Amino acid sequence: MLMFLSILSMSVLALAVCAAAFSLATGGVRQPESRPERRPVVEPPQFFAAPPARPRPDPQIPLEMLLGDIERHIRLEQAAAEAFLAGPTLDGLHERPERRAN
Amino acid sequence: MSPLHIELASGLSDEETVALLALGKTLPLRRGEHLFRLGAVADAVYVVEQGRVALTLPMRIRNGEEEVVLEEKSPGETLGWSGLVPPHRFTLTATAALPSEVRCFPRAALLDHFRTRPAVGYLVTANLAAVMGHRLQVFQTMWLREMQRSVEYRYA
Repeated sequence: MLMFLSILSMSVLALAVCAAAFSLATGGVRQPESRPERRPVVEPPQFFAAPPARPRPDPQIPLEMLLGDIERHIRLEQAAAEAFLAGPTLDGLHERPERRAN
Repeated sequence: MSPLHIELASGLSDEETVALLALGKTLPLRRGEHLFRLGAVADAVYVVEQGRVALTLPMRIRNGEEEVVLEEKSPGETLGWSGLVPPHRFTLTATAALPSEVRCFPRAALLDHFRTRPAVGYLVTANLAAVMGHRLQVFQTMWLREMQRSVEYRYA
């Protein structure tokens, strides 16, 4: 009888130890909760409307000079576009106008 | 002005060109004088006879508005095609860059002329379409180049 009780108590103790070890091992694992799906925020196309902040041009530059720069840029771009239309190639499409001007 | 240099009359016989030119009237322009302004009603097409006419668009610069030259038209070249194309509003401002002369062709006179001479109307319209198509292609290319630069600027 004593032996039976010893074996029974050892079994109960071993069962308790196993249960404790199991709960410790699985304590950090949680089932994923159901959350609302997160979608990436897609910015509207604003290539021209909202360019990233860059240093502003020096306000000391005379307006005439600024206008001259803009018009020079337009002329170079127009020349580049005309050259592209005369012989359309991918390289010609994106060629820098400075290279043509040289 | 030699008829050979008038892009609007390309393909017309000498007689047809003379008849077409007779529909127009020469307008002298002082340097800096506006021929037409952006948004104005367009009821005529123009051909530069002498001098040079600048086509400009307003840009906002430093809280002010400045006219920026997009292109210049030389003798023989056509401007103001909005005069023949609905909604008949000018989309640019035209200003004489030099003392100039332009020949003004009223829309009503042109359309009357074309009604009785469909072959002339066809050729002139085709020439006008070539002018418009070229402008479209040039500016489409310019726009794509700027777009490409903008993409590189933002995502490089």
